[in-house]
Amino acid sequence: MFLKVEDLHKVYPSGTHALKGVSFEVKEGEFLVVIGLSGSGKSTLLRCINRLHDPTTGKITFLDKDVTHVKGEELRNLRKSIGMVFQQFNLIKRRSVILNVLSGNLASMSTFNSVSENFSEKDLEDAYKCLDIVGISEKANVRADALSGGQQQRVAIARSLMQKPKLLLADEPVASLDPATSNSIMQYFEKINKELGTTVICNLHFLSLVRRYATRVIALKAGEIIYEGFPEEIDENWFKTIYGEEAEEVEIR
Amino acid sequence: MIDHHKIAVEKVQKQQDKENSSKFLKAILLDSFFVFYSILVVQRAIIYNFILELKEIPFSWGEIGIIAVISAVVGTAWAFTKTSLSCKLFGIAKEGKITDLTVEIFGWFLFNITFISGWMITKISIIDLFSEEGLRGAQRIFGALFTPQFSIFDEAFFALIETIYIALIATLVSIPITLILSFLSARNLMNDNPLSILTYNVLRVILNFVRSIEPLIWAIIFSVWIGIGPFAGMMALLIHTIASNAKLYSEAIESIEAGPVEAIQATGANKIQVIWYAVIPQIVLPFLSFTIYRWDINVRMATIIGLVGGGGIGTMLIQYQGLAKWHEVGLIVIMIAIVVWLMDYISAKIRAAIY
Repeated sequence: MFLKVEDLHKVYPSGTHALKGVSFEVKEGEFLVVIGLSGSGKSTLLRCINRLHDPTTGKITFLDKDVTHVKGEELRNLRKSIGMVFQQFNLIKRRSVILNVLSGNLASMSTFNSVSENFSEKDLEDAYKCLDIVGISEKANVRADALSGGQQQRVAIARSLMQKPKLLLADEPVASLDPATSNSIMQYFEKINKELGTTVICNLHFLSLVRRYATRVIALKAGEIIYEGFPEEIDENWFKTIYGEEAEEVEIR
Repeated sequence: MIDHHKIAVEKVQKQQDKENSSKFLKAILLDSFFVFYSILVVQRAIIYNFILELKEIPFSWGEIGIIAVISAVVGTAWAFTKTSLSCKLFGIAKEGKITDLTVEIFGWFLFNITFISGWMITKISIIDLFSEEGLRGAQRIFGALFTPQFSIFDEAFFALIETIYIALIATLVSIPITLILSFLSARNLMNDNPLSILTYNVLRVILNFVRSIEPLIWAIIFSVWIGIGPFAGMMALLIHTIASNAKLYSEAIESIEAGPVEAIQATGANKIQVIWYAVIPQIVLPFLSFTIYRWDINVRMATIIGLVGGGGIGTMLIQYQGLAKWHEVGLIVIMIAIVVWLMDYISAKIRAAIY
């Protein structure tokens, strides 16, 4: 079993019940897209998988191993095999692009070597390869905050590739980008999914992007799964159920 | 089958109930204190002192005890109505007109009796400020200060350099110690296990305590401990600098962007790596800025600390003041003013440049 989530609940200390018994499975090599309104629990779900948030109850199995409550070394190993890309890119702004990519490899380095920023030749080579995959290696020595949004997101993708992840989580990776850039970023995810064989779970807003890139779709509403199936099966009715009666589909190319 | 939903909701509900009852307990204590304070101030400062104009204000523990008991009863009863000032402060009051009205009336009442009694305790007197004798004294000292005696310039100059170096060394030595302490007392880094939470709390208490003792008092302590001189002054400044900057630094750490921290955590990095890659790059500039500003503050404090035996220009100032040599005092005061103004200017320029 690649990834299995069973009856997952998450209640925040503030009392918000973000996930209410979510269960699903992911097979290796899939491109799973999670859709739903803001506040439907999409982000919480991704953060429970790599345990940035601790689930309140329920069970998560990753590569046949129960990872719901792993701690310390085991937790770091889990996170190492799961890359993550964020809506706000979350790069280290004052440092160079190449250092940002290298920071994806921290889990494989000793604390001393990472603090003294003593990277091996091979690490550097890998980092440039990752930058090549997202086509931005010419910016390697530029400060991260000097890049445009789309470029920053590509660096963030390269950082997560540096981990050589088995699973890539993307939390609304194109929500703060313009439509044209969004599409190009999604193409990188598709490339990683198809060429490197990395399983991808991606939160998205736009249905046109979902139809184009997803191999399977889950829809969340108020912390519960209300739809599970293939992207081409989402018709007008499902759309209104997921996004509300008022919603109208917007095309993005 | 276990109902996970119910378990999860109950978990949170229990926690909230616990929080509310502890808030209510605090409200009872605070309300009782408010009543106690009001009775005491009205009785002692206003009735005895102001209205009856008693020279000797009667004092007995028995009376205080009776007032305390009465306040406890009244305060508790008041808190139970859920319309009291403390209930409002802790956010557990009933919404409504009565609450708003009591809060407003009692709030103003507290403020006014505090202001009135404070005015009387300070013994404010316009007559003393503008008496003939007082004005003559003022004329004498201002006259001397503005006709400084330059014969001690060399001596004062070297004492000033000593002062600046005392401040500089105190600031530099404080940096590594402050750095370590600030990470250990930043809430967002120290909330993951019981040991770190304990460290955080213990450290906060110690730092608050050390900081609440003024550098002047530390200088007195160290002048007894290691003897009068620049070393005692440096130690006094060092201790206080560590305690105050650790707070500023840790607040800077607490207000960093969470995104990069989350991103580095998500790569599987350990705690030290997360601090090095995601926390430190965000705090380097504020830290530099605080440290330079602190050097500036320390130069000012070093002059004061000299008054109680901390070495430098302050020690010289207090000697001439003791001999009532006001023209020499005048020179020293002017020199201190110039150096402080210069430091202020330079540190502001440097801080503006690094941002």
